[in-house]
Order: sequence, then structure tokens, then C-alpha cells
Amino acid sequence: MRLDALAEGQTFRVEVRRRDGGYTVILDGEALDVDLVETGDHFASLIVDGRSHEVGLEKRKDGYRVHLPDETVTVALAEAARGAPRRPGRPTGPMRLTAPMPGRVVRVLAEKGRDVEPGDGLVVIEAMKMENELKAPRRGRVDEVAVREGQAVEAGALLLVVA
Amino acid sequence: MRGERTRGEVRAESRAFRKILIANRGEIAVRVIRACREMEIQAVAVYSEADRGALHVRLADEARAIGPAPSRESYLHVERVLEAAVASGAEAVHPGYGFLSENAAFARACEDRGLVFIGPRSETITLMGEKTAARREAVEAGLPVVPGTLEPLGDEAALAREAARIGYPVMVKAAAGGGGKGMRLVGSAAELPSALARARSEARGAFGDDRIYLEKAIVRPRHIEIQVLADRHGNAIHLFERECSIQRRHQKVIEESPSPLVTPELRERMGTLAVALVKRVGYLGAGTLEFLVDGDRNPYFLEMNTRLQVEHPVTEEVTGVDLVKAQIRIAQGEALSFGQRDLEQRGHAIECRVYAEDPEAGFMPSPGRILALRTPNGPGVRDDSGVYEGWEVPVHYDPLISKLVVWGPTRQDAIARMRRAVTEYKVLGIQTTLPFFQRVLRHPSFVAGDIDTSFVDAAFAEADRDRARGEAVRVAVAAAAIRAFRERRAARLERSGDGADRSAWWDAGLREAQGWRGGV
Repeated sequence: MRLDALAEGQTFRVEVRRRDGGYTVILDGEALDVDLVETGDHFASLIVDGRSHEVGLEKRKDGYRVHLPDETVTVALAEAARGAPRRPGRPTGPMRLTAPMPGRVVRVLAEKGRDVEPGDGLVVIEAMKMENELKAPRRGRVDEVAVREGQAVEAGALLLVVA
Repeated sequence: MRGERTRGEVRAESRAFRKILIANRGEIAVRVIRACREMEIQAVAVYSEADRGALHVRLADEARAIGPAPSRESYLHVERVLEAAVASGAEAVHPGYGFLSENAAFARACEDRGLVFIGPRSETITLMGEKTAARREAVEAGLPVVPGTLEPLGDEAALAREAARIGYPVMVKAAAGGGGKGMRLVGSAAELPSALARARSEARGAFGDDRIYLEKAIVRPRHIEIQVLADRHGNAIHLFERECSIQRRHQKVIEESPSPLVTPELRERMGTLAVALVKRVGYLGAGTLEFLVDGDRNPYFLEMNTRLQVEHPVTEEVTGVDLVKAQIRIAQGEALSFGQRDLEQRGHAIECRVYAEDPEAGFMPSPGRILALRTPNGPGVRDDSGVYEGWEVPVHYDPLISKLVVWGPTRQDAIARMRRAVTEYKVLGIQTTLPFFQRVLRHPSFVAGDIDTSFVDAAFAEADRDRARGEAVRVAVAAAAIRAFRERRAARLERSGDGADRSAWWDAGLREAQGWRGGV
């Protein structure tokens, strides 16, 4: 099976083949012999070149979040025939500010039509007993305010749009 | 626990409890249940609708529902908690920390109904809970304090005048505050109005009291606190210091004991000051005096927390005293079974608070289901957790899921052990502060003990993560690709009747991923 992978800003062409008692993974033309056994629903033990790696694997929409002993790496995958996974591009066009977690809108700091600078507070959401101020990531003008103070929001809910 | 001190002698006026109600949730409720179990005391849990399946409910001997998920209707609801205590036949109530632990009205209501509140007398909570009154008591007892308004000020113009008089930077603080809530650092007059508005709103939400006072901000301060214990028989002792300078948003994330900054002379001085205040106010039970210490090792008393602290385990590890059992014994009327001279700090202990927060996104809360959990073990490791694999961390409460504590003979041993333990700790499904701890534990300033309360902001201001090393990335890609390969084969086998769909594994994965996220 051939895959295109994107991890930590690097792209890889990947091919996975079964071989006796394990796998051969070809990463950008370089073959790795990988012995992998599953050690739980979400864990696997890998031995690569004699080095032992216990990893946690968390399914994401377009790949996996891989937990290694000292770090966590997000790996986006797509079958090679479907084209490489999308690289996160530079933000352009209207910016939709969404709730990063479920919570309650305690204050709306920006009104429609206001010009904002990067770092300006836009909306304050309370979740897990903390107030979290969401700031403008770039310069622009508030085009739409989709919430009001006191409103409960789910993760991903649209809060406002900066054009 | 190393060399726990018990003598088991019971004074005539003391009585052993048979049953205690724990008016809390999460890891601290579990901690108190464990102490009760070891003392052969029945533990009664209370729970909100969101916590029916919580660990503390599962571990308790009895459990009583006290209302809907929002704290105000359950864990903060004095009447419902009291009803549960009376109905269960408990003789005493352990409040843990947060929630009702520093609520004098709750302590008084317990006293009125013949329940022993495991903590100080309600008058002491009132006195020390009013931060400006506490400062006055501290000054009377000879403790140095940070310059500031001794009274909360109601009107913004008066606050602005006081801020100008004290001189910026100033700290804006909630009179009823604690735990960093309702607290803001203000660098200039221009920032004051918005800081006041947010501090008042947070204070109103957290404590139902939006009175605010000001203090001069000490630049690059260390946050060091002294643990105390006092009984009904006039004995008051301190259990040395905890270093709590590693903070984010004014909330502690790593604590240790001893503090790398504190000299034997400073320790002796702070301990003596702490005991002086404890004796002056007739304190009872376990408590903590918080100090700011400036670059010249001058301590300034900040406030007293009249309850058990989150970070109490580091003191337990270096002194061998079980603070929860000590609280219970004091509440039973027993005298302390050890004196100041019996205590010493042995070795070094560190605590890392594992929060359900995303360190890559400014420590945003990250509630949700814990998909998989593996906890560290081995020599010198203690995991005081309130969660389990499959548990959904609710959005309604504090994001603390566990406290990872290690002990080692020296600070360097303890740091190495903590790095090892963090490496073993796996939490899948939600983001946690664990990756952040790996970075702090390797930071040269932390390793050297050269830390102050601005450390997290200063050292991790920019994109809060290191790029993973090349080899790690390759292992991660290989693991992910093999997993995808295996899932595809499994999906093919399942569908072998109707011709394997090339992308079945992918679609199956997508459905699964969306399912875990509650449908996108």
C-alpha cells in the first residue's frame, strides 16, 4: 500500500509491505524493517533496527496522533492515488473564530464593524472554571458576531468572523 | 509514605470517627477516601449528575447524588451537601480543597448540625478568608507583607488612585480569592480598567463576591509556602516549605520541596513566622501560608489557605507525615503525636499537575473522553489520580486529572525520576500538560533551580513545543502507516463478500474518528 504522509511539516512517500513476521516500510525510498505487535487497543510495540519503541495511536480524522515516549507527533495520511494530504496554508480570506472547547460566552469584546489588531481580545469563554480570552490572530474588521454573552457553545461553534 | 508517624494514643476528649462524608470530587476525593480506608473509617462520596461514573464514587463505601452538573447546584450547594451528610449518618465532613473548603457559612452549618468540619473553626475561615483582614493579623503577628491597599475598594477611580500611589506594576486581586482566580497583573494605568472588569467578573463567578484590592507587584518573585498543623491542645508546628514558582496564569503546575532557593536560615525564619500567625489566630488543622520571596530572599506574607493544598503530597513525601490522616486525627480531638524537633526534610519531592489542557494552544481546556490511559510506576513514583480509562473529563469542573509525584534522595535524582515517570505516562483522547512537563524538566533554568513565577511565560512564550526529532518522526510515520495498512486489511476481510472497497479502511477510520469526537 502506498501512502502520502505529512508529519511535523515534512512530507513523506510511504509504502507498507508485509514480510515474514513484520513489515517493510519504505520512507522516501529508504527501507525500514519494522517489527510491530499491538499491545492494547491503542498501543503498539515497534522494534526498528533493534531499538524498541512503545507508541500510543490515537485516530484522527485524516490520520493518527502518535504518542512516543518523549513527544507526540501528528501524522496525516492519504492514499497515494488520492493526492498528498493538504498542508495547512497561510490564512487568507475571512477568518472564522470558533470555540476551541465547549463552554459559556462570558463576554463579547468586539462589535461588528470594529477594526482589530493581532492579539486584540475578541471573545471570552469560560470553561473548566477558567476564563479564556480568544484573541484576533491577525489584523482585520469584525464582519459578524455569531454569539451573545451568556450563551453556551459547543466546541467548533462559530463565534465571529474577521474579514 | 516513608516512616509515617503514628502513636495511636487517643486523648480522653477525642472520639474516633466511624464515617466521614467527603464534600468534593476528583483526585482529592479519592485521596481522602484512601486515608479513610486505611483508618477503617467509612467514606461517603457525593456526586453531581455529571459524576455518577467518577472514580471517587466507584471507590467510596457509600455515594449520594446531590444535584445537577453545575457546581452551584451540587458541590457548592451547602444545603444538599449537609442533607447528604446527615442522611448518611456521617460524624464529620472533609471538604477537600476548592468548592466549600473555605466557606465559613458551610463550616458553621456543619457545626450547627453536630457535624465535625475537618478544618479550622468557622471564625478562623472568615478571618483568614478576608484577605485584607488576614494581612492585618499577619502584620500584628510580625509578618512582613507586600505594600498595598489593606481594604477592598469598591470604586474604580479610588482603585486607580491607589494603583498610582503604590506604583505600577500592581496586582489586582479578589478579596475573597484564591487559586489565581480574579487575579491580574497590571503593567500600566491604561490596562487597569479592563483588568478590573475581568477580575471582578471572574471573582463574582468563582466566589459570588467581586470586591477587589491592590498590591504592589514584586518583580520576578518566587512563590514559596509553609505547611502548618495545629491541634486543639495548643500544639502548632510547621512542615517546612514548598516551592511553587512554576505557574501558568497564576496557577501552580509544578511544586517541590525543599525549595532550591531557601537557605536553612530563611526556612527557620519563615517557619517561625508561620507558627506565630497560627498561634495568634488559634488555628486548627492543616493550613498553608503563602509567601512571595524576592531576589534578595525577603519573604512577604501573601495569604493563608485554611485547607489542604493541592500540592500537599510533596510535603508528605519529604516529611513522612500523612497530612490527610493528621487532619482527621486533629478533628477527632487528638493531640499531634510529634513535635517540631521530630520533623526533618528528607530527600526531595516534585509534583507535576496533569491538567486536561492543551499546552500547544495556550493551555486551553481539553475536556473529553480518555481513550486510553497508562500510568507510571516503579520506585519513588506516586500518581494521585481522579480519572480512569474510558472516563469523560467533564467540562463543568477544574481540569486537574492527576498529580504525579516523585521522591528522590536529591533534587537531581527527583528530576531524573520525574522525567522517567512522565515518559511512562500516556493519556490518549484528550490533551494534557504532560508534554509541557518534559520540556520544563529539561530546561536549563529549571534544572539549575533558577526559576521565578514568570518562568513559564518567559521560557515558553513562543510556539509552545519543540519540533520532534527526525528519528521520532520516522518512527511515528511508520507506526501510523502500518496501523492504516492493518485497518485496511481488517476492513477488507470484513467485506470480502461484496468485493473489497479500496478505501473501506479509510472510511471506517473516518467514521470511528468522528464517533469519538461526538460527530463532526
